[in-house]
Amino acid sequence: MQSYRERGAFEKEGAQLVLIGQATPRHAAHFRRRQGIDLTVLADEKRRSYKAAGAKVATLNELVGPKVMAKGLISSMRSRQPQGRTIGHPAQLGGTMIIGRDGSVAWSHMSEDASDNATPEEIVAALRGI
Amino acid sequence: MGIIGTAGERQHTHPPERADDLADMELPDQDGAEHRLGDYWKDAPAVLVWLRHYG
Repeated sequence: MQSYRERGAFEKEGAQLVLIGQATPRHAAHFRRRQGIDLTVLADEKRRSYKAAGAKVATLNELVGPKVMAKGLISSMRSRQPQGRTIGHPAQLGGTMIIGRDGSVAWSHMSEDASDNATPEEIVAALRGI
Repeated sequence: MGIIGTAGERQHTHPPERADDLADMELPDQDGAEHRLGDYWKDAPAVLVWLRHYG
């Protein structure tokens, strides 16, 4: 959600942000209301796009291991927002991808564990490099 | 498959070099309206974020 909060920085670089979640449109609508998001949220209940993006399913250690839990706790404290109820496949990981106008994947950061997310700064730097 | 659907063995991410397989996918938004993914990067680069969950 850090990406959503920093989306103005992406737009400044001429790119738009697209959020995709692994649940139903109803869940996406609830998520938007809860998080106060005014951006379209796409729903991929069957996780087809996750597979096409090369996202992986976590092992137990990659999901709730000590390193992951510690990072998650710090992240929740920083954002002052506790993690909500998990909807969808609990071990499915996500990621971030920048796709250029020609359809090439200019940059990607697919999560290696549940605490591994691209920072907005990394995304902006990647946008400046394409 | 392990507990709560976790992978039994460590997997590797494998992002593609091109988004051709993603381009023609259509996904519904929060209102049920279908969106073709490729339309998002037709005119300008797009930052796609796959959320781990809607938490």
